[in-house]
Amino acid sequence: MNILLSMVKKDFKLIFRDKMTVFFTFIFPILFAAFFGSIFSGGSDNNQLSVAVADLDRTADSEAFVQRLIDSDELAVDVMEEPAARNAVRRGSKVAYILIPAGFGEKYGSLFTGGTPELTIGVDPSRQAESGILQGSLMKLGVERFENALSDNQQLSAQLDQSIAAIEQSDDMPEQWKSLLGDYLPQIKALTEQDAADNSTDNPDGATTGMAGAFTPLALNFEDVAIQRDGPQNGYAVTIPQAMYWAIMGVVMGFGVSLVQENTFGTMTRLVTAPITRTQILGGKSLGCFIALCMVSGALFLIANQVFSVPIDAPLKLVLAIASVGVGFVGIMMFLAAIGKTERGVSGLGWGVMMIFAMFGGAMIPLFVMPGWMKTVSHLSPVKWSILAFEGATWRNFSYSELILPCGIMLVLGITCFIIGSRTLKLEN
Amino acid sequence: MIRISDVSKSYGELLAVDRLSFAIQKGEIFGLLGPNGAGKSTAIAITCGLLVPDRGEVQVNGHRPVSKAAKRQIGLAPQSLAMYEDLTGLDNLHFFGSLYGLEKPLLEERIQWVLEFSGLTDRAKDRVETYSGGMQRRLNLAISLLHDPEYLLLDEPTVGVDPQSRNKLFDCVLALKARGKTIIYTTHYMEEAQRLCDRVGIIDHGRLLALGTVDELIGEHGGDGEISVTTAEQTIVKTTGRPIADMKALLDAHDDIRDLKLIRPSLESVFLNLTGRQLRD
Ligand SMILES: Nc1ncnc2c1ncn2[C@@H]1O[C@H](COP(=O)(O)OP(=O)(O)O)[C@@H](O)[C@H]1O
Ligand SMILES: [Mg+2]
Repeated sequence: MNILLSMVKKDFKLIFRDKMTVFFTFIFPILFAAFFGSIFSGGSDNNQLSVAVADLDRTADSEAFVQRLIDSDELAVDVMEEPAARNAVRRGSKVAYILIPAGFGEKYGSLFTGGTPELTIGVDPSRQAESGILQGSLMKLGVERFENALSDNQQLSAQLDQSIAAIEQSDDMPEQWKSLLGDYLPQIKALTEQDAADNSTDNPDGATTGMAGAFTPLALNFEDVAIQRDGPQNGYAVTIPQAMYWAIMGVVMGFGVSLVQENTFGTMTRLVTAPITRTQILGGKSLGCFIALCMVSGALFLIANQVFSVPIDAPLKLVLAIASVGVGFVGIMMFLAAIGKTERGVSGLGWGVMMIFAMFGGAMIPLFVMPGWMKTVSHLSPVKWSILAFEGATWRNFSYSELILPCGIMLVLGITCFIIGSRTLKLEN
Repeated sequence: MIRISDVSKSYGELLAVDRLSFAIQKGEIFGLLGPNGAGKSTAIAITCGLLVPDRGEVQVNGHRPVSKAAKRQIGLAPQSLAMYEDLTGLDNLHFFGSLYGLEKPLLEERIQWVLEFSGLTDRAKDRVETYSGGMQRRLNLAISLLHDPEYLLLDEPTVGVDPQSRNKLFDCVLALKARGKTIIYTTHYMEEAQRLCDRVGIIDHGRLLALGTVDELIGEHGGDGEISVTTAEQTIVKTTGRPIADMKALLDAHDDIRDLKLIRPSLESVFLNLTGRQLRD
């Protein structure tokens, strides 16, 4: 064991000396994931919540409200028809839909009469955390409605006129209320007009917020949303397993080349003449490769989770996926080293094979957007199965029995390649 | 004792080692002298178990060279440098030492010793890449000493080394002999064999042509020596198989001798006599 560990230590030292390998193995995948992740996250870069809005009221007031939504910093708004809006959330392309029901505009436009304006909202259940932000920003718009009305004296004055007229015409309001408001509202109007005359730059902030607090600015009715979608909600959840493959490729090539380099360096002579077995020599290399693979995958998922908020709900499944993908690619590394024989052979063959695997395995185009024929071809690529294992352990929420297929394929492939490769590989030249 | 019995090895058509047999005694420096391509490295590779011979066998203290027991007794300094140039000298020593399963304190002690022995202590923490050719050769030797083997196989240890470093290496080899090590030393420089080796095997085209102490080889195959006597009037030069008797006769015959020279044949002439070719091509 000590011998294996010192081989691992030595190989790590050697690999970390190679700046190119370090870049392509550790830095590049993170850049890749970050760049494409932000693109796939569908415009929700600068942290805006992407929502679909359907205006069923279609009045000037409701349209003004929609404009307020569009103008708000927190929301990225797409205006669409109701069914489209509901679908967008169901498919995961929007976090929430906001339906503006008929009659909304009237209630929204009048301050003191007409009742609380209501909105119907549906939020992607997997993004409940963000629904808080949505509620907050909608309420802020509701409050602003009061603030704007009250801070603009002329508008308030018009509002009051409107209200007085409404009260006078009202049939169902009790007489006492009618007379109270009939006295009270004109006095407020007089005060407002006097206030405006006294000080046109007046900013009655404190008073109005206090007043706004007395009303419910908006009523939000939440609906349950049944989710039905092909892709994950977080773009990084797709690009991290893809990026992983670039890191895996870096490690596989690094160790494959380092194995044949023992010949170039002449150090294989020393390994072979030392009192250790062939199994220990190959085992040390493989262990190093396996540890490196697990490290880069683990590190990338950690970054995915901590920096890009990719949810990891089942860490144990992820460990299983990482380990079986590790075994798979150690076998492939051994096979490439045996077939490639020389540094040039291994890197030429390696990059070629690994690139084709990548192209058809979903490391370049995500599996779930591939055309049908390509999905079929992808079955032949170990990359597909490793990405599926990673995705199954994360956003696809595979059960253990569902994980057996991709993980099992990687394990069997790895062990088969390892046996063939290690038997074929000539240590001494 | 290392015993090589009737060993042959071919690469395709080419017979690199041809029915080689010899035995190496404890504590001696055994030289394998021959031109490039003579089969020296192949013989070394077979001796340490790197290559399996087509016929014949090798025994190291009675063990097969591929056995762990034999491997622990052999330290190989390959002809082509065998180390990680990207790592430091110390990293290399730690790694290769660990392959022999030495306990940490013992390994540290051995590392200190080989560094000092090879004069690399000051540069131990530098990358091997930055070493001079001579230093790399010394590290190549130092690595093979880590596990304190009984037998040292030094395959052309002075190739690519400047004369000063070469002398340092000679000192190292002699110091190792003084510590009781048994050394197989291959070279195509007859001066090295003559200076260092207790016994020398002369090898060409994979075959052992002659074996013995330097004196024995010269006596047997060196051919005639040369004597020259200078008197007041003349210089007499004579090629002779009996230099001492002839010199005595000349000394008796002349009174006014100013100078005299006795040039013994060298290993170079041994090789020339055995093969009809110069050692160095
Ligand atoms: N791996 C090999 N494949 C084919 N021929 C080889 C190989 N190694 C050595 N030879 C040939 O075998 C002969 C002996 O080589 P070698 O033992 O290296 O000689 P030396 O060490 O005395 O210079 C040479 O002719 C060399 O070209
Ligand atoms: Mg040689």
